[in-house]
Amino acid sequence: MNANAVLTAMLPEHLLLLGIVVAIGVEIAGQGRKLSFAVALATVAAASIAAALLALDGYAAAPFAGQFSVTPATLLVKAMVLAFALPVLLMSRDDFEGGEFAILLMSSLYGACLMQSADSFPTLFLGLELMSLPVYVLVLLAYQRPQSAEAALKYLVLGGTATAMFLMGASLLYGTTGSLSLGVFARALAAPDSLSRAAVVLIVLAFFLKAAIVPFHAWAPDAYEAASVPVTAYMATVVKAAVLLAVVRLFGGATLTSPLLELVAALPLLSIVWGNLAAMRQPSLRRMIAYSSIAHAGYLFYALLGDPAGRLQAVAFYLLAYGLLNLLAFAALPAAADDRERDRFDNLRGLFHRAPFAALMLGVAMLSLAGIPPFPGFVAKFLIFRNVMAAGHTTYAVLGLIGSYLGIYFYLRVIQVMFMSPDAAVAGSGPSRPVAVGASLACLAAALLLVVFPGWVIARM
Amino acid sequence: MSDAGVLNLVLFLPLLGVALLVAVPAGNGALVRALSLAVMVVQLALTAWLYVRFDSRVAGLQFETRLPWIAAWGVSYQIGLDGYNVLLVMLTAFLGPLVVASAFTAITKDVKLFYAMVFAVQFAMMGTFLAQDLFLFYVFWEAMMIPMFFLIGIWGGERRIYATIKFVLYTAFGSILMLAAVIYLVWSLQKTTGIASFAFADLVKSRLPLDVQSLLLAAFALSFAIKVPIVPLHTWLPDAHVEAPTAGSVILAGVMLKMGTYGFMKLGFPLFPDATHLYTPILMTLAVVSIVYGACLALVQDDIKKIIAYSSISHLGYVMLGLLSLELIGIQGAVIQMVSHGLVAGGLFLMVGMIYERCHTRELRAYGGLAKLLPVYSVFFMVLTLASVGLPTTSGFTGEFLVLLGAFRAAWPLHLAGDNLPLALTAVAVTGVVLGALYMLRFALGFLYGAPAAPHQPLVDLGAREKAILGVIVAAVFALGLFPDGPMQKTELAAASYRQLVSTSRLPGSPP
Repeated sequence: MNANAVLTAMLPEHLLLLGIVVAIGVEIAGQGRKLSFAVALATVAAASIAAALLALDGYAAAPFAGQFSVTPATLLVKAMVLAFALPVLLMSRDDFEGGEFAILLMSSLYGACLMQSADSFPTLFLGLELMSLPVYVLVLLAYQRPQSAEAALKYLVLGGTATAMFLMGASLLYGTTGSLSLGVFARALAAPDSLSRAAVVLIVLAFFLKAAIVPFHAWAPDAYEAASVPVTAYMATVVKAAVLLAVVRLFGGATLTSPLLELVAALPLLSIVWGNLAAMRQPSLRRMIAYSSIAHAGYLFYALLGDPAGRLQAVAFYLLAYGLLNLLAFAALPAAADDRERDRFDNLRGLFHRAPFAALMLGVAMLSLAGIPPFPGFVAKFLIFRNVMAAGHTTYAVLGLIGSYLGIYFYLRVIQVMFMSPDAAVAGSGPSRPVAVGASLACLAAALLLVVFPGWVIARM
Repeated sequence: MSDAGVLNLVLFLPLLGVALLVAVPAGNGALVRALSLAVMVVQLALTAWLYVRFDSRVAGLQFETRLPWIAAWGVSYQIGLDGYNVLLVMLTAFLGPLVVASAFTAITKDVKLFYAMVFAVQFAMMGTFLAQDLFLFYVFWEAMMIPMFFLIGIWGGERRIYATIKFVLYTAFGSILMLAAVIYLVWSLQKTTGIASFAFADLVKSRLPLDVQSLLLAAFALSFAIKVPIVPLHTWLPDAHVEAPTAGSVILAGVMLKMGTYGFMKLGFPLFPDATHLYTPILMTLAVVSIVYGACLALVQDDIKKIIAYSSISHLGYVMLGLLSLELIGIQGAVIQMVSHGLVAGGLFLMVGMIYERCHTRELRAYGGLAKLLPVYSVFFMVLTLASVGLPTTSGFTGEFLVLLGAFRAAWPLHLAGDNLPLALTAVAVTGVVLGALYMLRFALGFLYGAPAAPHQPLVDLGAREKAILGVIVAAVFALGLFPDGPMQKTELAAASYRQLVSTSRLPGSPP
């Protein structure tokens, strides 16, 4: 371990830590919300840029051998996850009074980054918990109503269950192999003994729970709905991305074989179908996005069926397209007097005539999430199913695609509500949110670049 | 600018149009309309220039552009003109200004968005025809659905939501299975030959066993057949047509339905020749069923838009028949029939739109004696009716006649060899011509003759704008009917290449 490597390799994390300390100081000094917002924004931007620059520089190091290592690929996904947090911060500016939001967000991001570099189960656990715990609080923050408490508790309990399963699986693996290295998991995938198998299943199920795969998904719609819009956006993008990327890291270079193959194919397939079906009946955008994200988690787990060499690329590209467009949708959501009322479809009726810009942004987001070309969601979907098919799982690929067909309707329903329905009786519009609109524009610009130059991005992932 | 540059400009001009519309201040409808028309006219002029420059003696692509897009997968941005698409590109560009002009008075709500959507659909349709790379083709093919969804859903009739959702759900279902087939096809090409490419020219190098070919053909065919539409996948069409605004109907009938038959001709049949050969009897039967069934349904409709909608199903059945005949004359006839139907059905929908703007009903029963009430309108209507029936000297005659000729030529040797099905099917297809005359004349008779009746009298006859729109269409109908030589020469080499591709076995082990 040399100090230089520790400093450089963990630069994004160090920057976040610095930001947290400063933001706490600001909070103690009572300097108010504006300053901590600025601190958080600068910190996350700096961390993201640092990670991206290191990645483009081809930096690779293992400052704590066997515990923490970085490669250009991990740095790049860190940069992506951190960049997702920027629009979240921007859209939160008008929603949160205190500086706690910024502190909690940065802590959670620290965990999300740590997960991407974890080489051992304790590090991964540390990252996972560090990421999740602040989110339980964020769901409740600045949003006191009974249902929120219930949803946050549900989220906490089920999150705790996932943690317990994860630890149980890790300890079983330690028991059979005597090692806590993540590489043990990939080897256990092929091991025929029941202990290894139990360990693998426990760990996989823990991640299913975290990623809200059917039948472990029930917490997601409630939690997404209970949270305020920026926190929902954070859960749907940053948390989802960090979990899925960690799963890819965990599976490493192992090819899935029966019977685990069926587990990893069947439940995500079920998620795709059920997520898309249930999303049709939701009354608000947040609940709909929750079910949609259940389906998207299904596609993402599908990527594990593909060839190990292409997994990270497929998942990272998918998350990039999915994350950008989700953030675009949430940032464009027009303001209303009450946060709860902002995204109810009844209130979005005829939105095009009241707020054409917001309606068009949301429309683009919906079409892309539905995977309709030319929007980036299509290339992402194509990439995943291409890999699945190339690995020889033609039937699963076709079934997954048919499942994705089910999703088209509810995304289009949002467009129908905004463009083709009589206007809602909304008394005036809420305050304008220039910062959030700027965030959505930035997401749109990034998405357009992804449409025109998908090859450039894919070649670098 | 090089010719290839002009072709790119033709493709992207509608997007430029959208950008221009965004810059127009809100509420300035007149400027929006003028600008839209100007952009479409420029597109037509540029396309006409390329059409003239198109060398009919050159086989393969002309004015080609090829740039890597997703290099890692072998996806490229590749467009070009060839005998397959040159007439259809011309048709698309030709109908563009007419569609825009036809909506000047009909569309008063969200005018900017409307023309932006018309541009978007024009862009996607042009792209679908011009694309020479399967990935690019699929992107345009699928993207076409979205502006159409808006056009029907926002500016459509009473049941527009139902119609537009049905349209999307039908189209998207076909597309999703086609996507699976596209992925499989490209991957298996890469596995067996090492070529990672989506270019049409490379895809015909694939060698696939018969069962795989059959499945892939089924997936492609489902998508194309829904678009054509072939009975029994046609039920979205009457709804979409009836509910769509006039411009939407014209786009749909004029160009979009041809996507299906073009898809069969460019991709479906040439990519999977052995499966095509195996399933020709079934496909041919479906084509003939579409001809007769569509005509029979057109015969009993009381909604004038539905009559034309069902007649479209019937007319496009001929295109399928011509493509399946594998006779040069039949294939060329099929292409002429596509263009002819685009002109005639497009024109008829425009005329229905014009009368609907005046009377606000589409019920045939509400009308009568329009020949007295609207003499100019009636003349145009009669001409288009006769073209639809297939009167010699009009484009409708050329198309249907050549298709039937080709079908007979192909069926006769088979008949002598003991296979009577093609001959019987062709004979049944001929009855479609008679039925066509019946339903169109019933329509014209009830519409133009008898006791004068129309809601919202007194009626104003066609204005200068409407006369100009219809005059241009009628001129094109006669031009194609009287001088089919020029267009047919441009498609001749493509028809030959299509026949050669579909006649060559591409099972594993067959020579390259």
